Amino acid sequence: MIKTLASRIWTFLKSFQLTIVLLALLMCLVVLCTLAQVEMGTQGAVNAYMRSFFVKKQFAALPFAIPVFPGGGLVGLLLTLNLIAKTLDIQRTWQKAGMWLVHAGLVILFAGEFVAGMMQVDTNMSIEVGQTVNYVQSYKNMELAVIDVTDPAWDEVYSVPDTLLSRGGAIPIPGTPITLNVKRYFPNSELSNLAPGMPPSMATAGVGPGIAIVERPTVTNDNELNTGSVFVEPVAGGRSYGTWLASMAIGAPQSFTHEGRTYSLSMRLLRQYLPYSFTLKQFRHDVYPGTQIPKNFSSLVQVVNPSQKESREVLIYMNQPLRYEGKTFYQASFGKNDTLSVLSVVENPGWLLPYVSCVLVSLGLLVHFAIVLRRSLKRRQDKKEA
Amino acid sequence: MTFVQKYLAWGAGILALLVALIFAMPGGKVRGFDAAGFGNIPILEGGRVKPLDSVARNSLLIIHSRQGFRYEGRTIGPDEWILDVMFRPQVADQQPIFVIDDPDIIGLIGAKQTKNRNYFSFADLSSHLEEIQKQAQTAQPIAPQKRTRFQSAIVNLFDRAFLYYKLRNTLQLAGSPGLGWELQSIGDAEASARHQDLTQLAHFRILPPLPGANPDAWKSIGEGLQAMAAGQGTHPALVPLARLNAAYVANDAAGFNQALADMNGVVSTLKPGALSHATNEVIFNRAQPFFVGLSIYFVAFLVLCVSWIYKPELLQPTAYSLLFAGAIVHTLGLAARIILQGRPPVTNLYSSAVFVGWGAVILGLIVERMYRKGFGTAVAAAAGFASLIVAQNLGTEGDTMEMMRAVLDSNFWLATHVVTITIGYSGTFLAGAIAIGYAIRKHIATKVDVETDKALVDMAYGIICFALFFSFVGTVLGGIWADQSWGRFWGWDPKENGALMIVLWNAIILHARWAGYVRERGTMVMAIFGNIITALSWFGVNMLGVGLHSYGFMDQAFWALTGFCLSQLVFMAICYAPARFWEQKPHTRA
Repeated sequence: MIKTLASRIWTFLKSFQLTIVLLALLMCLVVLCTLAQVEMGTQGAVNAYMRSFFVKKQFAALPFAIPVFPGGGLVGLLLTLNLIAKTLDIQRTWQKAGMWLVHAGLVILFAGEFVAGMMQVDTNMSIEVGQTVNYVQSYKNMELAVIDVTDPAWDEVYSVPDTLLSRGGAIPIPGTPITLNVKRYFPNSELSNLAPGMPPSMATAGVGPGIAIVERPTVTNDNELNTGSVFVEPVAGGRSYGTWLASMAIGAPQSFTHEGRTYSLSMRLLRQYLPYSFTLKQFRHDVYPGTQIPKNFSSLVQVVNPSQKESREVLIYMNQPLRYEGKTFYQASFGKNDTLSVLSVVENPGWLLPYVSCVLVSLGLLVHFAIVLRRSLKRRQDKKEA
Repeated sequence: MTFVQKYLAWGAGILALLVALIFAMPGGKVRGFDAAGFGNIPILEGGRVKPLDSVARNSLLIIHSRQGFRYEGRTIGPDEWILDVMFRPQVADQQPIFVIDDPDIIGLIGAKQTKNRNYFSFADLSSHLEEIQKQAQTAQPIAPQKRTRFQSAIVNLFDRAFLYYKLRNTLQLAGSPGLGWELQSIGDAEASARHQDLTQLAHFRILPPLPGANPDAWKSIGEGLQAMAAGQGTHPALVPLARLNAAYVANDAAGFNQALADMNGVVSTLKPGALSHATNEVIFNRAQPFFVGLSIYFVAFLVLCVSWIYKPELLQPTAYSLLFAGAIVHTLGLAARIILQGRPPVTNLYSSAVFVGWGAVILGLIVERMYRKGFGTAVAAAAGFASLIVAQNLGTEGDTMEMMRAVLDSNFWLATHVVTITIGYSGTFLAGAIAIGYAIRKHIATKVDVETDKALVDMAYGIICFALFFSFVGTVLGGIWADQSWGRFWGWDPKENGALMIVLWNAIILHARWAGYVRERGTMVMAIFGNIITALSWFGVNMLGVGLHSYGFMDQAFWALTGFCLSQLVFMAICYAPARFWEQKPHTRA
């Protein structure tokens, strides 16, 4: 019984039907994902269609989204199993060596996309000329930064990521006597001056009381940013310091003092601090003579890594990224009249897999063609002799 | 094939090549003026040094959709036209070269339907320029995909009128006594304002860099005059240019030709090599190899069609030799572009169409050598013709040898990723074309010819394998390039998805065939669908206007693309038509 079931599953997994159905499903997904990008932005569409096990749809009548189509994750997983089964099933003869290599390469290619989907972290680093930066920041995720600014030479940064803010409740800040009571969190909002006659703000301290806030639906489009805002009440030593409004739309940090230490509050893009720093020495934006067509962008960066006792200059330019400590830094954008350089930073532990796959598949195809060529030459020879 | 037939066939091919050669010959003088020589003068525009002839042709293409026009019973070529625009605007302004199709715009400029229907001169437009500018400025901030038809048309008209206006004011301010007068009145009270205008309106820079200056530092007339007014000396090219201007206005052909020789002397001392590079490009412009190529393909296709009913033993080789001649012209054109631009063959949508056609023709020639049934010729000629027509339509937006944006500026990746992926397109299209031929033949042929059918299916199958190989390798190479420049191997960007679709579809066809789910007819239907997939991933994804690859955005082609896809669906239906339409018995799954 078990054996027949196992052999049935095996037959199913290695069948051509499954291959074709899965390839067709993948094609549908690719089409849907491409079309959805117009509305949802590339990242949103990829997350919904490709980097999920099911494509879910929210119906008005139901409280939760229900799966309506297999997602890229599921199709990819089954296709990988199908490929592995097929690869194992291909006769292990030299005649099939090429096909073996090709399919093994494809398995690795899929594995690479899985690793990228699960583990790739995209961040960026904006540096102005002359500035030194030792952190990368997220494109979308935000954090509430509580910074101890008492010492002018040294900032002690504590941060609360937006995922924690959205849960609400009391959040103790480790290493400080402060506990933050999250009163209300807005993933996206619009701020305006509080006009007379409008209901009063929840905020009681800082600039908050003069500001009206409206919740907005979150945006997923690549070039739009959510304006996250939060009402928080810092409590320390049993004393409340009032309710503050912190928002992406409020640039200047607001601060309060507790027992001689000054803490500032600000919403900002989620940062990850690095054990090394980059100083932008020069940014170049070359254009073709007499036009605005960009010819090259490059950033000359001083990399300083105290732990490695390293300090060197690196030129990052188009098609020439810097791979450093597991992260890759690419010239992505610029601003402020060519004095600001934006590097996109990618951390993907599986970045080598596609290269391995590419070599295997190319090798496999060459081997296969060589075998086929030899076979057909032999056949022709036999025909001649006959 | 007899001896005579063989020579007749190859004679046709050689004749086609001779016709192509005639195109490359320089034209005669215009009213005694060496207009062609004037077109040879190198200038800097759009980031590269090119002959004035290229500026003239591209501007005329943008404004008029053609490289020449008839006026007062004469054909006016691009070089003569630009001479008039720049030196005798009062003449050029009367020539009806602005094509306006949109009825709302014709209404806006209050034009009566002239006998030249939709052709208007700059003089016709001049009293409405303010209104056109006002309307265009309200439409410009709207994203191109979201503009209404009127808005697109008014922005387009404004761009064309502005281009004309800039050309008119590049070498002299239109309406002023000319460049010679500018040189004499360099210290005038109003001179600096005029220099300012000339600098701002200059469409190109004609003064070569002086010795010791940055080798890219070409200057416009306005900048040259500003430098002169600031006491930095007279640029040596200003004087012969002023003489060219004066001689042309005074209708003094001998003086003009002498000034042109002096100008060439100045250019070759200041920028050795620029003149010969410009001359080569002018020869390429004049030869119009892709236009000539598509005409030869068309003739080859017609000859082949005739061969099926009349004298096949003579006409089939003739068609083949014509196709071969077309391929030679096409290849030379492609090679010339590569040399002139210093880039691999595919750098933008236009050149991708040229290259896709070239790939299909070369594959078709090989297939024809192998099977000798005339099908390779027919399909290759049709594919070459169609893709060059597409290229001609894509090439109306200006210089097709534009500079590469920073991220694309990598000859290595352009030569590997872009070329392989484009060969993949060629293969998929050729397989689809063969399948269409198969479908039509099945319905038309009176007798069952199993052998030919099998040969066609074999051709299509082989080409699909070939296309899968190239599109897969090309896609992976693209992933590696993306990893090098954007930091991820694969981002599900629309263009990447398009490439993936072609790979997936070809893989599906092959697996379905290997598993025995489809036979002859099924493979062919699937191969035709490959045309739709390829067209969508080639052009369709650019219309979405999202993603990192959308540097080739275009909106006008939407309906053409829709029409193409519908036509392919019809062909699929024809290929799959009910069994009673087919001579042979329907397939059984035995």
